[in-house]
Amino acid sequence: MQFEWIKIPYALLTLFIVVNYGMLLGAFIQKIGARVGRRRGVPIWQNYADLVKNFGLRTSITHGVMFYLGPVFRLTGGIGLLLFVPTIYGSEMFSNLSFAGDLILALYFVFFGTLGMALGAGESGHPHAAIGISRGLSQVTAAELPLALAVFSVALQYQTLSITDIVSAQQGGVLHWTLFTNPLAVAAAMLSFLGSMMRPPFDVVLAPQEIPIGPPTEYHSSYLALMQTNRAIFPVAKIVVYMNLFFGGAASWPVFFLKVFLIYMVSVFVGVAFPRFRVEQSIRWFLVWAVPLGILSILLA
Amino acid sequence: MTSPLYIIAVALAAAFLLGLLREQWRSLAYPVTLAALAFMSWLSASWLWALASGSASPVDIYTAGTAPPFAINLRMALPEAVLTLLINLTGLFSALYLKSALLARGRRGMAVLLVAIMALSGIVLTRDIFNLFVFLELVVIATGGLVLLSDHAHALSAGFKYLVVSQVISILLLIGIIFAYHATGTLNIDGMAEAVPGLQNAGASQAFELAFFLMFIALVAELKPFPANGWALDIYEAAHPAFSAIFSAGAGTAALYAVDKLLLIGGPAWLDMATGVGIVTFVAGNLLALPQSNDRRLLGYSSVAQIGLILAVLGQRDILGEDTYFIAGGLLLSHAVAKAGLFWLSGLLAGRQLVDWADLRERPMPVFAFVTFAAMLSGLPPFPGFYAKWELVHHLAGSGRLVLLALVLFGALIEAGYLFRWFGYILKREPPGEADFCRVIFDKPHRVLPVMVAVAAGWALAFVWGELASSLLGRSNLLLALPLLFALSFLLLDWLPAWVKNSLAIAGLVAFFAATWTDYDALRMIFAIIFTLGGALTLLASYHVHGRRVGFYPAAMLMFAGMVMLIRADTSFDFFAAWELLTVGSYFLILRGKHSEPHALSYILFSLGGAFLIMAGFAIAAQGAPQFALASLAHVAAPFAPWVFLLLAIGFMTKTAAIGLHIWLPGAHAEAETDVSPMVSGILLKAGLYGLMVLLLAMGKQQLYGIELTHVLLWVAALTALLGNLMAVFQEDAKRLLAYSSIGQMGYALFGLALMNHLGWLMALVFVINHYIYKAMLFLAVGGVAKRTGTREMYRMGGLIRLMPLSFIAVLVGIIAVSGVPPLSGFGGRWVFYNAILASDYRLPMVVLFLAGPIAFLYLFRLIYTIFLGQLKDELRRVKEAPFWIVLPQMIYVALLIAFAVVPGLALHRVDTYLNQFFPEGGLSWAGGEITSNYGYWNPVAIMIIVGVIFCTVFAWLLFVNRRAQPVKQFNIVFSAERPFRPETTHFAWNFFAPYRKALGFLTQPLVTIFWTTVTDLLHTAGDLGRRLYNGNGQTYAFHFLAFVVIVFFLVGL
Amino acid sequence: MIAQLSIATGFLLILIGLYGALIQRNILRMIVAFTVADTGVNIVIVAVGFMAGRTAPILDAAVPVADAAARIIDPLPQALVLTAIVIGLGTTALMLAYAFKLYEKRRTLDIDKFTDLRG
Repeated sequence: MQFEWIKIPYALLTLFIVVNYGMLLGAFIQKIGARVGRRRGVPIWQNYADLVKNFGLRTSITHGVMFYLGPVFRLTGGIGLLLFVPTIYGSEMFSNLSFAGDLILALYFVFFGTLGMALGAGESGHPHAAIGISRGLSQVTAAELPLALAVFSVALQYQTLSITDIVSAQQGGVLHWTLFTNPLAVAAAMLSFLGSMMRPPFDVVLAPQEIPIGPPTEYHSSYLALMQTNRAIFPVAKIVVYMNLFFGGAASWPVFFLKVFLIYMVSVFVGVAFPRFRVEQSIRWFLVWAVPLGILSILLA
Repeated sequence: MTSPLYIIAVALAAAFLLGLLREQWRSLAYPVTLAALAFMSWLSASWLWALASGSASPVDIYTAGTAPPFAINLRMALPEAVLTLLINLTGLFSALYLKSALLARGRRGMAVLLVAIMALSGIVLTRDIFNLFVFLELVVIATGGLVLLSDHAHALSAGFKYLVVSQVISILLLIGIIFAYHATGTLNIDGMAEAVPGLQNAGASQAFELAFFLMFIALVAELKPFPANGWALDIYEAAHPAFSAIFSAGAGTAALYAVDKLLLIGGPAWLDMATGVGIVTFVAGNLLALPQSNDRRLLGYSSVAQIGLILAVLGQRDILGEDTYFIAGGLLLSHAVAKAGLFWLSGLLAGRQLVDWADLRERPMPVFAFVTFAAMLSGLPPFPGFYAKWELVHHLAGSGRLVLLALVLFGALIEAGYLFRWFGYILKREPPGEADFCRVIFDKPHRVLPVMVAVAAGWALAFVWGELASSLLGRSNLLLALPLLFALSFLLLDWLPAWVKNSLAIAGLVAFFAATWTDYDALRMIFAIIFTLGGALTLLASYHVHGRRVGFYPAAMLMFAGMVMLIRADTSFDFFAAWELLTVGSYFLILRGKHSEPHALSYILFSLGGAFLIMAGFAIAAQGAPQFALASLAHVAAPFAPWVFLLLAIGFMTKTAAIGLHIWLPGAHAEAETDVSPMVSGILLKAGLYGLMVLLLAMGKQQLYGIELTHVLLWVAALTALLGNLMAVFQEDAKRLLAYSSIGQMGYALFGLALMNHLGWLMALVFVINHYIYKAMLFLAVGGVAKRTGTREMYRMGGLIRLMPLSFIAVLVGIIAVSGVPPLSGFGGRWVFYNAILASDYRLPMVVLFLAGPIAFLYLFRLIYTIFLGQLKDELRRVKEAPFWIVLPQMIYVALLIAFAVVPGLALHRVDTYLNQFFPEGGLSWAGGEITSNYGYWNPVAIMIIVGVIFCTVFAWLLFVNRRAQPVKQFNIVFSAERPFRPETTHFAWNFFAPYRKALGFLTQPLVTIFWTTVTDLLHTAGDLGRRLYNGNGQTYAFHFLAFVVIVFFLVGL
Repeated sequence: MIAQLSIATGFLLILIGLYGALIQRNILRMIVAFTVADTGVNIVIVAVGFMAGRTAPILDAAVPVADAAARIIDPLPQALVLTAIVIGLGTTALMLAYAFKLYEKRRTLDIDKFTDLRG
């Protein structure tokens, strides 16, 4: 296979678009949340302001090598996830670096950033960071399960693990989407989606009230800036996977923006309406409500 | 040739001479005794030599110059030569051993000893039933005398009980003899045998049957069958150990041969009774030995059991045919030599409790002697009992006597249980403190010599039986196998310093691979590399140990020898022998850990139990043939095939620690020494997988009652993966965590195999390779940390990253690889796994496996965080990096992991092609760096480059914007505007996943442990209940005997 | 008839002896019981060899060698019984010696008192 160097600027372009979209989307969602609570909320450019401020901070400390590398892992995980998945269906330009691997690569690469971040936070020596990680890992093992089942069900359905092939199998009308051809799998996956978005009722990991901001407790200045960048990229990258697998993918940027926004809104709707679960409650919730759906979808696929 | 009559004549003459010896020549008495016994031994030996080499033929000696029935005749043939040699040698060395006791008691004691040995030889030699009775009575009287050589407080009452029951026995025997004579008109055994079919009327033949029953039951009683044996057990316990040796080895042997002769008269009708009494005694004797704490009494029960087994073998001669003597002889000689050796050994020790044997600790020679004896008794290779058991089981299976087969194996397992428990006491318990042992060794060489002779005899017998097996039966002589010899040679080299032996061991492993690597196909090649080169790599870590490290190398090399013999084995016999060798070797290796006594015991018991299932499986598969080529497992006939599959699969799964059979693993792996854990985890577990591969390749999918067994395997594997991972999450002990993780990983590998498709197998092999590399690496890293910190509890560590950076890197790379996160090699395993399950029809078990997957993150994070990150403790501030030799292999493993991650094709491409012949569908295609399956694709090189570039770019950016970051001190954290109090309270580590435990902890209830504990408790309770029979009253024992006679009488149904 | 009677007597003695050996707690009485049983055995042996109307197995003028086989009883049981008596004597002597030693040691002859080794 001959590597085409042009893929690199194309991939960077995708990255640029997604970063900006993610920043704006994040602030917008925050604003929606505030409005639901009868507050004014942040301005739409708030994330840019934060980013600039954090990069601009002059004081900076480090607790050690892993602490230093934690945000690097985190951001690499976000960017990698985004680039391993084709963004726009049918566009050679925005297929990114998906030649490196298929769906399984994307699914497992999610953990790259998580793990690195957890290690970095761990080295800070702050007990709140460790508590947050303990909660997060406990929760994620249960929350990822329905998604894994749904993915397997979809792969069985289309007999492929290639994301491009899965998207192309859904073309030809809304009713060809996995949402309608395999509703159980999508239901399971969307429940799992709630668990991975760090919004209520599954946000005990960051738990703003009891353990100030959880794993990132000790991170500040440019570390925090990297993590903020990731916070813009990562949800979008993750939603792209959902979109491609379950909602027919996107053939153009406008469709992309719309679908990502709508999928994101699912977690927002649930988040503003429900209080927070404790970890063991959310584990049980996923096992009782989401996992059976996933199992059914596999058995019926 | 000198007439064998001189065995009797010389003993009698010497005994009389001793009696008539003048008082001033008293000092000659002992030499005369020894000379007489030596002469008797020599005579037997010369006959054995002559008969075995064919230069003499069996002779009958007519004592009064006339042929029977008018005179008594004796016979000397091969069995007689062997048995009299055994008896006389036991007598000779016991006499040597008894030196001080005999000198103290005077020459009459010596005379009695001579008479006893003479009478025992006479029992073997004579062909006259009444003469047999006379010799038997002489043995009884001599025993009554010799028991009193002991200083034991209760020798007197023991002797009296013995006499009481012997009286009853002799009454029955005598009545039997006279009526048998009345019916047949002869006392000659062969004559009787000829006369029986010619008995005229039904009345006469019935009368003879009754008479025979009396004779037979009386002689069987001499074998001390359960439950009519309380009287003999007291002798074992109370007599002088040297006499107990005679009593066990000599008297048991003679009585067995007497029974064998009687069976000649009785014919096939009595075989069932012999079998029944024998097997009941075997099982009950071993059960009763289980709760014993007195060494000699335990040996007594064990003797009773062994002789019972041999009686059962004699009872099976209808199917054993010509092999009867090979089997019975192998068992008998093993028993006799080992028991005599153990009794002699017991005399060197002051304490009578089993735990007092800890005196032997630190003394290689006696420990080696004990190992030899225990291995002989439990029928481990390369000793005769091993060959014998193999043949016996095959014959039993071939004739469909499966209940008997099961009982034999059950009894043997219990026996191994108490023997190895005992061995554990020796090596691991605190010595009682009296430095008595040392004094005995140097003061009394005449007591050490017999033990050493028994050891030598044991090994000689091992060789002889191996030769017999190879020349008569076509089995291989294990003692000629090069790997085994290499391993055993370390016994002789044990005086060398450890580093020399280590170099030799590494060189041996590498050289073996270099010499044989062309022999392996692609599949075996992977195992061969792990077993030899992988072993050499882990051995690098052993350079960190200084001193001589006695006992380590023989054990380790025995394990490696077993493993290479395993992959080179073509026949079921070779395979099984190799399996046992590697089991035993690894047991010794595991037992070396400081606190590993109970874990090593449960390891060996599970392993031997598994091995017995494997042997039974092979035997059933063989259907009467003594062995078969492994490949012909594929042709096992239909009704047996699923059962064979089941037995073999369970047997192999004891080694891979599938759920239900896993409870030995965590302790065994965790308590093992630092460099042993990687061997037994990274390498040894693969032996079980190899066995499963051989099995599945040959037998494929099997149905039992409509259930597909591979489907069952899938479930077992999935549950193993889930529960293994789950239990790993809740461990505080780092090595236990890794051990449980191994259980989970083996679950994955087993799952791949059970999928029975191309990619499933490939996945299993990826796990084999990966698991070897990262588990060896992690165990070394954690072992190194534990060595430096002095604890394995993770919450007591913390913040070690700066002090032990290399270990940290190893663990970091290890956990990324285990968790399957790209870009490291674990991801390859996951990718193949997803592709494999897409091609499979089973879906439900996969759900369980999905559940298991992410749990790995939990324990892996915990492992690295609680040890290396978080808060450093005050007492660990001066900890140094792990020793060089422990770190070096880790760094090599890191390199290997990365190499395997980038170019998995190097190892897998050939295997992938190789698997095509078994699973033509669904292979991978390897084009350049890209690997493509029917479903997806994956490019490891590209992944590595992309991730690397992104990572470096972001890192460079961070360095640029954050170049002035200042390192801060440990407690410089934002902690509610306060400084934390102490590292101990700040390091969040203990019960790290508390919420997870709340949610799913109920799944880790130790149900399996409870189950197996209950099983062992039940066995002990059964043994304890049985002990109540033996209330110590001689009359009760006599009553037992009579009840035994009555019960057998009704069971025989005369 | 005599033979049957003797055999019956012998067996009766054996049973009495065994019964006594199992029931009596006193060691000396047990030994006596055993000698009774031994005697019974000996009677049985001799009785088995007995043939009505024949003479003692002594080859002299009264019994020519030629027709000895038809006129004498079977000599073997008698030989056996001699051996058996000797052996019985030996055993009994040994047991008595034991009884003496046991009494010396414990000052009792009750078999129930010698149950230290058990289980």
